[in-house]
Amino acid sequence: MEPGSGRDDSDKACPFALVENVRGARRLAAVSLEAARLRLWPGQKVTDAVAVVPDLLTAEAEPEKDAEALSALVDWCVRFSPAVAADAPDGLFLDVGGVAHLFGGEAEMLADFQGRLAANGLPFRCTIADTPGAAWALAHYGADGTIAPPAGQGELIAPLPPAALRLDPDAAAQIERLGLRRIGQLMELPRAPLARRFGQATLDRLDQALGRTKEALTFRRPPTPWVARLAFFEPISAPEDLARVAHDVTAKLCERLEREGQGARKFEVCFHRVDGKALPVAVGLSLPGRDAARVAKLFAPKLETVDPGFGIDVVTIAAFEVEPVSGRQVKLDARKDAAVEDGLAPLVDRLANRLGEDRVWRAVPVESHVPELSVGRAPALNDKPCDQSSWDPEAPRPVRLFRRPEPVEDVLALTPDDPPRQFRWRGRLHRVSRAEGPERLGEEWWKREIEEVSAAHVRDYYRVEDADGQRFWLFRAGLYDPREPAKWWLHGLFG
Amino acid sequence: MSDFRSRGLEALKAKIAALEAGGRADSESLPFGDERIDDCLPGGGLPLGRWHELYGPGLEMETAAAPAAFAALLAAPLARRGEAVWVVRRDDLWAPGLAGLGFPPERLIQVCARDEAEALAVMEDALATVGVSAVFGEVETVDLTAGRRLQLACEKMGATGFVVRRRPYGGTAKREGAGSASATRWRVASAPSEPAAGEFGLGDPRFAVTLERCRGGRTGAWLFEASGAYSWETTDVAHPLRLVADLGDRQLAPAQSDRAAA
Repeated sequence: MEPGSGRDDSDKACPFALVENVRGARRLAAVSLEAARLRLWPGQKVTDAVAVVPDLLTAEAEPEKDAEALSALVDWCVRFSPAVAADAPDGLFLDVGGVAHLFGGEAEMLADFQGRLAANGLPFRCTIADTPGAAWALAHYGADGTIAPPAGQGELIAPLPPAALRLDPDAAAQIERLGLRRIGQLMELPRAPLARRFGQATLDRLDQALGRTKEALTFRRPPTPWVARLAFFEPISAPEDLARVAHDVTAKLCERLEREGQGARKFEVCFHRVDGKALPVAVGLSLPGRDAARVAKLFAPKLETVDPGFGIDVVTIAAFEVEPVSGRQVKLDARKDAAVEDGLAPLVDRLANRLGEDRVWRAVPVESHVPELSVGRAPALNDKPCDQSSWDPEAPRPVRLFRRPEPVEDVLALTPDDPPRQFRWRGRLHRVSRAEGPERLGEEWWKREIEEVSAAHVRDYYRVEDADGQRFWLFRAGLYDPREPAKWWLHGLFG
Repeated sequence: MSDFRSRGLEALKAKIAALEAGGRADSESLPFGDERIDDCLPGGGLPLGRWHELYGPGLEMETAAAPAAFAALLAAPLARRGEAVWVVRRDDLWAPGLAGLGFPPERLIQVCARDEAEALAVMEDALATVGVSAVFGEVETVDLTAGRRLQLACEKMGATGFVVRRRPYGGTAKREGAGSASATRWRVASAPSEPAAGEFGLGDPRFAVTLERCRGGRTGAWLFEASGAYSWETTDVAHPLRLVADLGDRQLAPAQSDRAAA
C-alpha cells in the first residue's frame, strides 16, 4: 500500500515542492500534484524548476521527520494487522494474511483502511496481492484498490513497466532502453541470460513479485499470530472502562492460548484513539502464562498513563514469546512444595512490572578478572539453572562493592608491594593490623586494542583489617614507580 | 501446690505463644548449635516466621557491610529451603562476597527499590509469597505500623525477614521510633580476626554481636566467627556461624551484681 507522492492541497492550486541538498546541488525532493502537473519532477534542480514555474513554493525536506511520521503511521496500522513493515520513504506493507476475516473480507478491509487514511488527510494508493513485490508494483503503477486474486498477480503485473519491480533506476532505465517495456516481456525471457544481462538482483525482484522466492520484510514489531481485537460502537474513555476492556481483550486472547496449550511471556495492549493515535501498554511475565486475571491485574496500574483523548474505539492485544505450556496438576500439599508458578513467578512479575525490569535480577557469574565486570544480571526467573562455578570462594571478595572505587589518603605503605600501614577514608584514619595481598588483577588486554593497554590499569588488591576489626578491600593503581607516589583506592567492604 | 501453679503457668505461656504466632502451632526456630546463645533465644534458636533487625554502629549505619554479612550468615541455612529476596536501595551488594561467606547467590533475587516506602512494600510482598524463605531489606527505620505489617506478612507463609538498617549516604540520622515489632534486634560490628598460629594474613571473619532485644528471650553479647568462609567447604557445615566467646558475661556481670546489691 502506497501513498500518493504529495499532499493534495485542493483549494490552493499553488505548486509546492520540498528541496534537499544532493551532492552540493539544490534539488527537488518531492513535488505536489499541482507541481507535477506543471512537469516538475523529484530530482530536478531548483533553479531549473523555478525557471519553469516562477511562483513555486518550496520548503526544506526533513527526512527524519518523514521517517518519524511513517513510523507513527506504522504504529497506527497495527489496528489492522500485527505485522506492519515500513517501506521508506513513503510506503508501508501490511501482512493481512489471516486477519482480513476480522473485517469481513479483503475488499471490506481495504475500503475501511482507505477510508480511515483519507479521514486523516492521507491520500494512499492501496492494493492487496500475494507478494510484497506484486503489491508494491500494483500500488505504484497499477490501478488503485486492486485486489489480486490468489496466485493471480502474474497477469496483473505483466503490463506494468519494469520499474515496478523495485529495480534500481539505472537497471530499470537500461532494460527500457533495450525495448523491454513491460514486465511480461521480462517474464518470457530465458532466466539464465536475463540474470547475466541485467544482474541477479533483477531476477530476484521478478521472482519475489511472482512469489517464486521469499522476501524478508522488516516488521516494525515482531509478527505474532497471537492477536485479539475489540472494537466499540461508541468511543470509550472512562478509566474503569479501560480496565474492563483490557481485561476483556486479554481474556479473549488467553482463551485462545489455553485452547492451544500455549502461554506467552509478553502481552501488549494497544488502545487506538479516535484521532488515530495508538497507545501501547506492555507487561512481561517471567514464566509463560495465560491467566487472564493475572495479566489484567498487571495491566491495571499502567492504565493511568493512557490518555484516552476524545475516546478509544479499538483495543488490540498481541502476545509475544509464545511457547507451549502444559497444564499442571494441582498439588495436594501446596504449602510444603510450592510450585514456582504459584508464588515466585507472580511475585517477580509484580515487582518487574511495578519497579521496572532492570530493578529485579539474579546475579550470575561472568568470566572476567575485573571485579566490577565479573557479576552479570540475569532475569530473576530463568528456565535453565546456570552453573555458579566461576566465582572462586577461596578468593575473598567483599560483600559491598562500590560502583566507583573511593580514593583514600594519607596512605603509609612500604614499597614496592607491601600492604598499607594506615590510610584515611571518609575523614577517619584506619591503622592496619593485618593484611593479605597483593592479588594482582590486570586488565583484559585481549579484549581491546593493543595500543590502549597500559600498565596503569593494573591493580594490586589487598584485604586489610584495621585495629577495630573492620575489613577493607584496597588496591593500588598501576605498577610501582619510584618517581611517582602510589595511588590508593578503596573498592569494597567485607564487614 | 507449687507444681500445680507452675503447670498452670506453663499452660498459660503456651496459650500466649499460640496467640502470638497467629494461630500457627508450628513456629520453628533455627538453632545455632551452641547452648550459650540458643538458651537466650525463645524456642532454642533464631525464631523463624518473624522478622529481625540488624544494625551496625557509627559509619556502618551508612555502609551496613558487617550487618549485611552477618544477616547473610544467619540466613544461609534458610536459603537452602527456598528462595531469598534482598531489597536494596543502593545497588552495592556484591554476589561474589555472599558466595564467599557461604550464602548461595543463585537462590537470591535482588531488587532495587527507589525509596524507603517502596523497599518496605516489596519486603512485605516477598514475605507473603509461597516459596520464599528469607527476605532481606535495607531500610533506615521501621516504625511500629510498618513493623506490624512485616510481622503479619511473615506469619502468612512462615518466611523470615531480616531488616538491615541503613541510612542513605549524606542523610541525617532520623529520630528513632519508640518501639519496634521485631522479634530480635542485633547490633553487629566487625571484630579483629585471629589467624591460626603460624599463618599470615587475616583469619576467618569475626563479628562482635550484641543481642539488644529479644522477645520471649534474654539479651546477651557474643563473639562469632564465620568459620567456613572463603573455602570450598562452606556449604557442608551445619551453621556457618561459630560462637567463639561469650562477651555478655564480662559486660553484664557488674550490672547484675549492682542490681543484686541494690
